[in-house]
Amino acid sequence: MTCSAVDPVQLAGARRQVFVALFVAVAVTVHALETLLPMPVPWLRLGLANVMTLTALYLYDGRAAWTVSLARVGIGALLLGRLFSPGFWLALAGAIVATSAMIIMYRIAGRRLSPIGVSAIGAAGHAFGQILAARMLVIQHAAIWQIFPLFLFFTVFAGILTGWFAAGLIEKLRQHPAFQAPAEADTNH
Amino acid sequence: MKAPWHYMTSGDWLVVLLLLCASMAGIAWVATAPRGTRVIVTRSGQTCFIAPLDQPRSVDLDGPLGQTHLVIDDQGARITASPCPHKLCIAMGPARHSGDLLACIPNRILVRIDKPGGEEAPYDLLSR
Repeated sequence: MTCSAVDPVQLAGARRQVFVALFVAVAVTVHALETLLPMPVPWLRLGLANVMTLTALYLYDGRAAWTVSLARVGIGALLLGRLFSPGFWLALAGAIVATSAMIIMYRIAGRRLSPIGVSAIGAAGHAFGQILAARMLVIQHAAIWQIFPLFLFFTVFAGILTGWFAAGLIEKLRQHPAFQAPAEADTNH
Repeated sequence: MKAPWHYMTSGDWLVVLLLLCASMAGIAWVATAPRGTRVIVTRSGQTCFIAPLDQPRSVDLDGPLGQTHLVIDDQGARITASPCPHKLCIAMGPARHSGDLLACIPNRILVRIDKPGGEEAPYDLLSR
């Protein structure tokens, strides 16, 4: 492969753009398939799209994680015809609280937490954000908080499962030359 | 891919344990709430029906989609028929603890159980 004339910093930037776009595409696809899958309870979802948000956070940074989570909510809703519906606002609030919580935890804890712990925190944040949005937009009564503990209990397990998938994916991708530091990666050509 | 505990640090275990303990404490707190005394129904945020929980009664509540049928008996208050697409409000079963909630979001009906001496105290029975 001949790319010796390319500035390594520019190359790393372009590579990052391509991979973040790929993460968004995978997240949207997984989210759409998961939503279309028939479930016993309509709001019961594993949240597998969060695997890509976690991957972006661990391999790049918080900015990449925001791009993946917000683009996933926006494009996913557009694709499924739910843009600006009540469900869209719930999903958006869940994604905003979850992404903030995951980035903050990742920055505070660093290596003391694996993607599994960060994902569990994100899942709890997602449940909190959704109920907060439902409290303000749909139910408009404080009694909705009664369902929060039950919601939290199930969502923690979903968070562990998606965090586990993310941990496996991140471990695999880190071994690939494209995700090593730009200077190191260039010596491989 | 390796087993989840291969990746988990002691921090992860702490986070998961704390979240599960918090949720179970919350579930226990909600489940041990005392039996409520009144059923209050709101439609689009406006109170439209109030009745005591200890007297058997059934009522049709009008919403934007049609009639939601509410039954009050010794099991509590429950929705038995509704024009909404998913019938989640029926699946929610009976509500009897103070603070319990049955919601039919498509038909804008919200049924909640009030604690003794709750808010809107002036009425024992109201229907409009």
